[in-house]
Amino acid sequence: MSGVSRHIEAAGAILLALIWISPLLFAFWAAFHSTSDAVNFNVTAPWTLDNFRTAWDGAPWMRYFLNTFLLVTVVLIGQFILTTLAGFAFAKLEFPGKNLVFILVLMQLFILPEVLIVENYAMVSRLGLFDTILGVGMPYMASAFGIFLMRQSFKSVPIELHEAARIEGCGLLGILWRVYVPLAKPTYLAYALVSVSTHWNNFLWPLIVTNSPETRPLTVGLSIFGAPENGVDISVISAATMMSVAPLLIAFLLFQRQFVQAFLRAGIK
Amino acid sequence: MTGAPFVILKDVAKRWNGQLGVEEISLDIEEGTFVALLGPSGCGKSTSLRLLAGLEIPDEGQILIDGRDVTTSAASDRNLSMVFQSYALFPHLSVAENVVFGLKVRRVPRAERAEKMARALEITGLQGYESRKPGELSGGQRQRVALARAIVAGQRLCLMDEPLSNLDAKLRNSVRKDIKKLQRDLGITVVYVTHDQTEAMSMADKVVLMKDGRIQQVGTPDDLYNRPVNTFVAEFVGAPPMALIDSSTVDGFEPGFTLGVRAEHVSIVPDGKGRLSCTVSEAEFLGSETLIGLNHAGTTGLSVLQPGLSLMPEGAHVDVTFDDHNLHKFNQEGERLAGT
Ligand SMILES: Nc1ncnc2c1ncn2[C@@H]1O[C@H](COP(=O)(O)OP(=O)(O)OP(=O)(O)O)[C@@H](O)[C@H]1O
Ligand SMILES: [Mg+2]
Repeated sequence: MSGVSRHIEAAGAILLALIWISPLLFAFWAAFHSTSDAVNFNVTAPWTLDNFRTAWDGAPWMRYFLNTFLLVTVVLIGQFILTTLAGFAFAKLEFPGKNLVFILVLMQLFILPEVLIVENYAMVSRLGLFDTILGVGMPYMASAFGIFLMRQSFKSVPIELHEAARIEGCGLLGILWRVYVPLAKPTYLAYALVSVSTHWNNFLWPLIVTNSPETRPLTVGLSIFGAPENGVDISVISAATMMSVAPLLIAFLLFQRQFVQAFLRAGIK
Repeated sequence: MTGAPFVILKDVAKRWNGQLGVEEISLDIEEGTFVALLGPSGCGKSTSLRLLAGLEIPDEGQILIDGRDVTTSAASDRNLSMVFQSYALFPHLSVAENVVFGLKVRRVPRAERAEKMARALEITGLQGYESRKPGELSGGQRQRVALARAIVAGQRLCLMDEPLSNLDAKLRNSVRKDIKKLQRDLGITVVYVTHDQTEAMSMADKVVLMKDGRIQQVGTPDDLYNRPVNTFVAEFVGAPPMALIDSSTVDGFEPGFTLGVRAEHVSIVPDGKGRLSCTVSEAEFLGSETLIGLNHAGTTGLSVLQPGLSLMPEGAHVDVTFDDHNLHKFNQEGERLAGT
């Protein structure tokens, strides 16, 4: 009985995985074949790198890569600083109205970012950050999810460690830096993973707030490259898509085990 | 050298939401002495220590360390070190990094740091373990790392909160001696919290016995054992503790107070010649002697020690006696009567 159900479960899981990965597999396959072969599903057709050559010459990809890289880095640094400080305050400090403020922060989780696009746009323009990488990253820095995560992680640090550090001469920020942050390393890693993949893939907001190739991230660049007015060539678009997802995908494949462990240790599932 | 005590607590009180924490704690600690805070669980020993450490701020009273009023100063400004019951080693740092943590925070130059660490590790016998993480050490080794961290900076005052309670009995005995030796050799002042009276009596120059947030008696182990100021101290200190006898039970005493006598001063005499005629309630073989518990109306904890193995059947009748000059006298409130 349990043997049969286990087989059914395994088959179901494999089927789901196949369905989930099939678009990626098709894009991968298409990227290495000529357009007509790809469209006609010609399985035996020869492999080619032409699509990559065409795609690479079609847009300033290096610049887009750099922009995306800068964007995720800026967002991540901002998030680390803000969520660390806020999470620490919520976990270990006493101040009037703490619970109310914490609830307000958590309410952020119920609001879809898309709802705030107009307001954020106005704010970013007012700050003079329109069409800058900082402007693209800014709205995501005070992440409610991150603050919550850091608070939980800091709360689990034994109070004796805090007290020992105090006696050894540490100030509040010293304790945060020398005790809490190192102990929360798995949480930082897991959070970085979520953050980087989210912002690597983020599209709508960067599309609205960027205006020039100097700030445009990969996702926006790719959509402009693949826009119908440039003519639809499935193979070339697939090649471009492969290029833009490659860095993250390779990183995930290489560090899969560490990532999974980080998630387990941080208690996020 | 002013001659003033190194640490002074004056009428210190700390309450939790109006409830009793500790009250009227007044204590003088001379430099270079070993002071034990002793008492049953929940009596406020840890609270007193934490007040001294600066981990809690008192609601009332004053704390002076080395002539400086530190009542409200931060823990880091009090120039003391502390050993926690759980050791509080930083799990992400190696033994060496744990030991020099405070020196690094205080920006001691690297060369000096290395020198001090080498000395602390040598004293605590931890050479060779420098690069291990606390998770890779045994309980006893962790305890020594905590000690090393406490002595490395050369602070003159070291606070310890039940540092041995996570060790097994045998190790506890040897570490107890090590700590005592360390304190003497380094000439530091140690305030040591324990609920184990053997620890307190064997290590301390001065024992502070507490109950319900108040100090009951401050004195040398000899004072506490031989001159308890009240019946609580009498019944807490010593194994077996002092027996208390209602004075009306014994011929030759007027009623209305309590007599105390230690087991070693009680002796068994032939029937009819004793001051009390009791029944045996239990007999416990301790190795070199046998402890015989006795029952008699109006007494609590009466017992007698017999040399070697000399078990007695439960319910047997024995007559016991004791000398008047070995008796302690307490009034009805349980306080020691003057002149005894
Ligand atoms: N942070 C706190 N909040 C409220 N009450 C506290 C707090 N810390 C201690 N207390 C109370 O103060 C009293 C003394 O506690 P303390 O920890 O000093 O006892 P202790 O003598 O160290 O006992 P033990 O031997 O069990 O460690 C206890 O009744 C305890 O409940
Ligand atoms: Mg305690």
